[in-house]
Amino acid sequence: MSRRTAGDDPDRVESPTTRLRSVGPDDVPGPDELLRLVARGDEQAFAALYDALSPRVFGLARRVLRDAAQAEEVAQEALVEVWRTAARFDPSRGSATSWVLTITHRRAVDRVRAAQAGSDRERRVAAASVDTPYDGVVEAVTANLEQQQVRRCLQTLTELQREAITLAYYDGFTYREVAEKLDAALPTIKTRMRDGLIRLRDCLGVTVEVGS
Amino acid sequence: MSQPAEIHTLAGAYALDALTEIERASFARHIAGCEACAVEVAELSETASRLASASLESPPSRLREAVLAEAAQTRQVTASRPERTGHADVRRWRRWTAAAVAAGVVALGGIATVWAVQEQRVGDARRQTAALRAEQAQVAAVLAAGDVEVGTATATGGGRVIVAHSPRLNDGVVLLEDLAPPPPGMAYQLWLIDDDEPTSAGVLAAGQNSGAAVLDGIGGADTLGVTLEPAGGSPEPTGAVLAGVPLA
Repeated sequence: MSRRTAGDDPDRVESPTTRLRSVGPDDVPGPDELLRLVARGDEQAFAALYDALSPRVFGLARRVLRDAAQAEEVAQEALVEVWRTAARFDPSRGSATSWVLTITHRRAVDRVRAAQAGSDRERRVAAASVDTPYDGVVEAVTANLEQQQVRRCLQTLTELQREAITLAYYDGFTYREVAEKLDAALPTIKTRMRDGLIRLRDCLGVTVEVGS
Repeated sequence: MSQPAEIHTLAGAYALDALTEIERASFARHIAGCEACAVEVAELSETASRLASASLESPPSRLREAVLAEAAQTRQVTASRPERTGHADVRRWRRWTAAAVAAGVVALGGIATVWAVQEQRVGDARRQTAALRAEQAQVAAVLAAGDVEVGTATATGGGRVIVAHSPRLNDGVVLLEDLAPPPPGMAYQLWLIDDDEPTSAGVLAAGQNSGAAVLDGIGGADTLGVTLEPAGGSPEPTGAVLAGVPLA
């Protein structure tokens, strides 16, 4: 039995989405269930998981890396890692979607740091505008609602919290680099990242039901 | 100075992947022994990944085929993480810390506080705690060194080996991340290689495929190599070098 968490997937975000979703096949398993099957070597489930999450995976890699070719490589690495290590997914620690995105983000950040070592990252950040072409009406609507919610919640943060979080998450900076860029003390940045995420968590209503 | 709460404030940076690899691994060990932290980190990580919804984008269609094909040829890891319960192996694994213990190094600070969580089942807890503390101090010293260099290598069979070392201190820290689980009776062994001349730098517990170790004295070694050896280790490498991290 898979316990659902608020982070589980888009279909809990807003009621209109739920209605739209129910038009599709009834018993389409969610990412949590799919990942459980993937852990047992189910290649079909992996294909379904790919279809469900690849736009997020690729979109995130693209956002961090900017470069489409590199994003494609990182997305592939991350998704193969998901296949390889699916047995390690622990549903009591969060949703499958979040687990997959964490793997993706980590790889993207590692790549960007390796590639950018010694070169100028400023320009890259300046060119930060990314549009999000996305096919699939239901998914697009879901995405839109989620995006709006995330955007609204980001606005509830203080400027320093917001900047610290976005520089780290979207641009792959370490907290030391963030502190330098924002001309703030290290402990301040650490605290702002944590406080900001806590506020974001409460605004988005994220909960993780630990253990059982 | 370092109070227990200090490490806790890293939870946000950890969830955002805003730590360096070494800090990240250290913090991961910390939460492995701290249930309250683990819950917070789980929630903050879940929250951070919501930020990804701001950027959905369909990948090129060729990616699907490429991913599914590669997965079909990739062996999956088994369900449970290997327990870190080796006995003799763990003692050997900690061997390098003896000198530091003798010197009475017990300073704790910053990142150092995170190191003390694992291997609770190994006997002689007090000695072990002292060893771990010494190790923490050494790790902290390496990471704080102005000349720290970080090298990474992908291991044959999957996973990564990361080495941070300070030429000035002549010390280093090795991290093994998710190497392929060793076959029964086998263990990963580390080697400091100086001009093709390998010297053992420690053996992991049989079955262990992730872990960290302090390199106490790198000398003139130019590479950190990893091989698979019979549990307990070999005097000289008998297996192929699965990963080599340059220490240049």
